[in-house]
Amino acid sequence: MPVRVAEASAASSQLSGASSGNTIPPACSLLSVGQAFSGTQNVSSLQKDEAWRVNVRIQGCDLQHGYLCGTMEALNVPMADTPVVTFWEGEIVDTKNYTFFTGKWEATTEVDIRHWTKFASFSPLMSQVENDGGKSLDFSNYPYIFMRWKEQYFVNVGPDCGLTIAGFYYVCFSCSDGSISGFYYDPNSSPFQKLELKSTNEGRCGFSFSSYELQ
Amino acid sequence: MPTYAATLLRPDDLIIRLTSSASDGDDKLKALRYLKNQIIGNRTKKLSYIKLGAVPAVVSILSDSSAGNCEASLSLLVQAVATIGSFACGLDTGVKAVIDAEALPILFSLINYPNEKIVDAGTRSLKLIYQSKLAPRYNFFQEKNMESLLLLLNSENENVSGLGASIITHSCRTSIEQKALSETGVLKKLVSLLGGSLCQREASLESLATITKGNPEVISQLVGLEEKALSIITELTKDKYPRIRLLACVFLLALRNTSPCYLEDTGITTKLVLILLDILDDPGQVGDEAPFALSNLVAGNKDLQNLAFEANAVDKLCDCLQKAVLQPRRVQGIFLALAGLCSTLEKCRSRLLSLQVFNLVNSALTHRSSDVHEAVCIFFKCISRSIKNLSADHFINETNISLLVELLNDTSTSVQIAALGAISNIVIDFTTNKLTIIQCGGLRELVQLSKSMDSSLRLNAVWALRNLIFLTDRQFKEVVMLELTSTALLSLICDSETSVQEQALAFVRNLVDGPLECIDYVFAEGGLLLQAVCRQIRSALKDEVLVQGLYILCNVASGNEFHKEAVMQALLYPIDNSQPMILRFLQSSNSQLQTVSTWAIINLISPSSPGSSDRAVKLKNIGIIPQLKILVNDSCLDVKLRVKTALGLFMNIEDGAAE
Repeated sequence: MPVRVAEASAASSQLSGASSGNTIPPACSLLSVGQAFSGTQNVSSLQKDEAWRVNVRIQGCDLQHGYLCGTMEALNVPMADTPVVTFWEGEIVDTKNYTFFTGKWEATTEVDIRHWTKFASFSPLMSQVENDGGKSLDFSNYPYIFMRWKEQYFVNVGPDCGLTIAGFYYVCFSCSDGSISGFYYDPNSSPFQKLELKSTNEGRCGFSFSSYELQ
Repeated sequence: MPTYAATLLRPDDLIIRLTSSASDGDDKLKALRYLKNQIIGNRTKKLSYIKLGAVPAVVSILSDSSAGNCEASLSLLVQAVATIGSFACGLDTGVKAVIDAEALPILFSLINYPNEKIVDAGTRSLKLIYQSKLAPRYNFFQEKNMESLLLLLNSENENVSGLGASIITHSCRTSIEQKALSETGVLKKLVSLLGGSLCQREASLESLATITKGNPEVISQLVGLEEKALSIITELTKDKYPRIRLLACVFLLALRNTSPCYLEDTGITTKLVLILLDILDDPGQVGDEAPFALSNLVAGNKDLQNLAFEANAVDKLCDCLQKAVLQPRRVQGIFLALAGLCSTLEKCRSRLLSLQVFNLVNSALTHRSSDVHEAVCIFFKCISRSIKNLSADHFINETNISLLVELLNDTSTSVQIAALGAISNIVIDFTTNKLTIIQCGGLRELVQLSKSMDSSLRLNAVWALRNLIFLTDRQFKEVVMLELTSTALLSLICDSETSVQEQALAFVRNLVDGPLECIDYVFAEGGLLLQAVCRQIRSALKDEVLVQGLYILCNVASGNEFHKEAVMQALLYPIDNSQPMILRFLQSSNSQLQTVSTWAIINLISPSSPGSSDRAVKLKNIGIIPQLKILVNDSCLDVKLRVKTALGLFMNIEDGAAE
């Protein structure tokens, strides 16, 4: 979600270590291509309370490489005439491809821990993560998927639209009901802007699944 | 050397001088020299003299003079042999004429001629003939032929031993021939030639590659008998001549593909990447062939692709592409190599896109050569495996889409299949490509190809249609279905090939997703499509077909009451006169089948639907609860979670009923 720029200090980043073991999160029907989610993002600042309606759709999913991508559509953005759509890419924390430590985007390990601990589902994992970065965690039966989503570019507006996509989201996805919560991090924006989404059936009375297959 | 002036001798006069009994040796010699000078490097003149019957005339002189032993005969022989060689050089028509004129036995007899010059000339001419696919295959099993071959290989004369190796390269095709050659000491001799002159090294490498091709037993024999063979060949990858380096790489590559164990510890495969990259810009045939070898080397190997990327392979190949525009073989090879590099690594694709070579790509799509077309399509397919790039619309535009659509009509099936592969990926885009495909007439072509007698074309066409219809609105689907028609879709669902059935069902799955009214497609004309889907589900043997069929039912069950009831009927239908279908799928060992089945149940008893309670009762009556409970602790998390949701819904309905 593009946000307005705010004052904040920069932080140094650290490289995360490598991990081992067969701990890739399971395929989850609700986190697959074509699936849609809708909800809100709180974009409040000290000056005012504001929330934008948000729709997200998954467009690409490659669990083997810990990769996800999709679009995010922000509605009722004050400075935009139309909904603003961005394309984002996700890193799935599977301890094989990506760990809980970001290692870039001006996010230190302290910043990482501060954000991950905001998710209740992270608490059981906390001590292991503090111990060894979570290298020995086994996600094969854990009903939550942790990710980082980083918006890459604006799809339908120019980069000079007055909005920024410099930050990224810490995201927790519930495999059980497809709900998503996230916190936006950008050292130059208000902290902990919360993203809350639910899986949507888009007018249907139940869940529908489509697919494509790359050659 | 004085000769006839061009204006003085017409071609038919020349033939007369060559064949007339009135011409003496001197006349014939002059005429031969004149002819030889006329045809050297001149394809048109060669063809024209062949038509006039020059070749039999020269062969006749060859035959007569080979029997003589005076100086005059020698001069005629030298010129006749050289002229024959010139006719055969790089011209299949010439080779045919020489063979038809029965020159081969005479040329072979000259190998033992007591004059080095004649031996060399004869050998050179024979080598030129054996470079052509029209040259007769040497029969290794005919009496004394193997012996003669070994004599050639053992000759002190490098041209003669090189000829022996060339004959093997040309003629050895079967594993029986490979085995026979490997058992006669040929391998030993060829390995010794690896240390010889340039032409011996070259001929020997090609010959060894032919004898060992795809034959682990012969390879094992080579490595077993000749301990140093592999290390000699590995050393040749550092030879000062690029052609030798290429041939050595090609040999080792073939060895890796057949018997990888011999190269595992050597680290040579990583070095091959760098060696091949180094000879990419060789101006001759080496530069034409190197990208093919590179493509072969990195195929399916992410580590080697990574290594090549780190060595700037993408940039080097693009650079060569800029210079290679008019050389079809080279262009083909470069695109195949780029395709290989971009097949799995996103960073290769990103690097390529940053180099802005798509003007070259588009011109390659309009090249005369079918091979180039096919290679470019494969390249497009690989580079468009990036959802990120498809979403950003970085490189696909109306121009290249319309060029790809044109190739759907190509006379070559392999070009059509390659174009279908590229289009299949491109239409997944989330911006404008889907519309552009339709505007360029692509939909019509895809639908036509989906009716092809060739199952590969049908499969790839339906695959592209499936991807095309993913996440589209009602209007778009209407356009597609108008072109495809339900009748054609029915036929594809029931196709003789299960892979086509699978893609057709996946198409229907996408068709009924999206806006609610899209579900009505399967209910049109009395529900023909739905009935066909259900029949396929009941009779399918392959899980992949079942999965897609079940997804269709699941998606339909997310509709209204009418839709849900139809799915209920289908799922309660007994399979093989025993259990209802839904129970059978829940008992499957395939987690995906279990998951989709459970989603269908969730949709059928979804609380917001008025008929949910009745359907819940019917499902309970067939024993669904115990079946679901078995899966509560399934090893697959997705199955577990859906089952938990379904059981929760059943309980809510029960509690609701109790109240």
